[in-house]
Amino acid sequence: MPQLMIAFTILLTVGAYLLSKALYLRYRHPLLNIVLLGAAIVIATLLALNIPYQSYLPGRRIMTSLLGPATVGLAVPLYRQRSLLRRYAPAIVAGVSLGSLASMLVAGLIALVAGLPREVVPSVLPKSVTIPFAVEIARIHGGSPGLASAFVVATGTLGSVFGGTLLTWAGIKDPVARGLAMGTGAHGQGTAMAFMEGEQQGSMAGLAMTLAGITTASIAPLMVRLLLRH
Amino acid sequence: MGRRNPACEDVWRGWGLPSQSRFTLERVAAPPEAFVKKKLRFLGQVALLAGIYLLGNKIAAFVHLPVPGNVVGIILLYALLNLGVVPLEYVQDAADFLLRHLVFFFIPVAVDLMNWGGVFYRYGLALALAILVSTILTFLGTGYIAQWLQKDEKPCPN
Repeated sequence: MPQLMIAFTILLTVGAYLLSKALYLRYRHPLLNIVLLGAAIVIATLLALNIPYQSYLPGRRIMTSLLGPATVGLAVPLYRQRSLLRRYAPAIVAGVSLGSLASMLVAGLIALVAGLPREVVPSVLPKSVTIPFAVEIARIHGGSPGLASAFVVATGTLGSVFGGTLLTWAGIKDPVARGLAMGTGAHGQGTAMAFMEGEQQGSMAGLAMTLAGITTASIAPLMVRLLLRH
Repeated sequence: MGRRNPACEDVWRGWGLPSQSRFTLERVAAPPEAFVKKKLRFLGQVALLAGIYLLGNKIAAFVHLPVPGNVVGIILLYALLNLGVVPLEYVQDAADFLLRHLVFFFIPVAVDLMNWGGVFYRYGLALALAILVSTILTFLGTGYIAQWLQKDEKPCPN
């Protein structure tokens, strides 16, 4: 019964989400990542019940159908913060562009030099942007959405655990600069940490997160051509 | 923490720290027709967001842009909001709700990882290095240039 399997996989995923979210809200530790924890619960259950990945796909399609509209909704906070956007335009534009470029170039070069397979390189390029962008950027350029999401979470975890310390150590004290670095370098997870530092850092991080997604998506075609030409 | 800006706090929180959805007394005690109307309005907002998303996809495909349709959709909605074609009230309830639960949609995507165990096993070290070095350089690059451009700016009171 395919309908039953779809219902089961959706219920399983919702349950995994609620469970990992409850755990995160209880302990609030950056290593307790909702995405990885939730996916691990789902994968472990599928493996234990001997359900192949192919049977998860119809449910996955239904669940991710709202991801696109939700992502478009990111324009709403961007619009609400338009006065901040105008006020700090030079720092935002320069910081986000440089950061996005550095992220892709360095990750891509290391991946290339290390001899990673061709479909892995485009998946690692969008590692600093939030998952809905990263998944699409990877897919357009021949990468894997699943791998891209794992690299995004790894980056976000790293950035949210050590990012603040790194910035302080480097003498970056300006709250606007700190927020921009956290949002550009570690997307939503960095934004959550920035909000713990303060309102200003958090708002800047949120702006940087969306803008870094747009910037990375726009530079990625050039970067792929540069790194993966025949 | 200084002064709070309620308009941004609630929304930004959604990306990393999903707050529990709040059931207020008014929401439970509202008359049924108002409840249905509210739900319908919410669905209409979701439909509008979905329409803009699909339009973004169509535009990207039509112009052969190598940019994802959701990126085109965001720019489109931002432009429509700024031009006043779409008032904020037409989309904000649905957008806030979906963004609060954005993390949920990432889980089914990450389940794809069950096919990729071998890559981590074989290339784990190189991947870790690529992610570590590029993340450090991104933080420093963005932080330094933004701080340098901010140095003439008077610090914000809050």
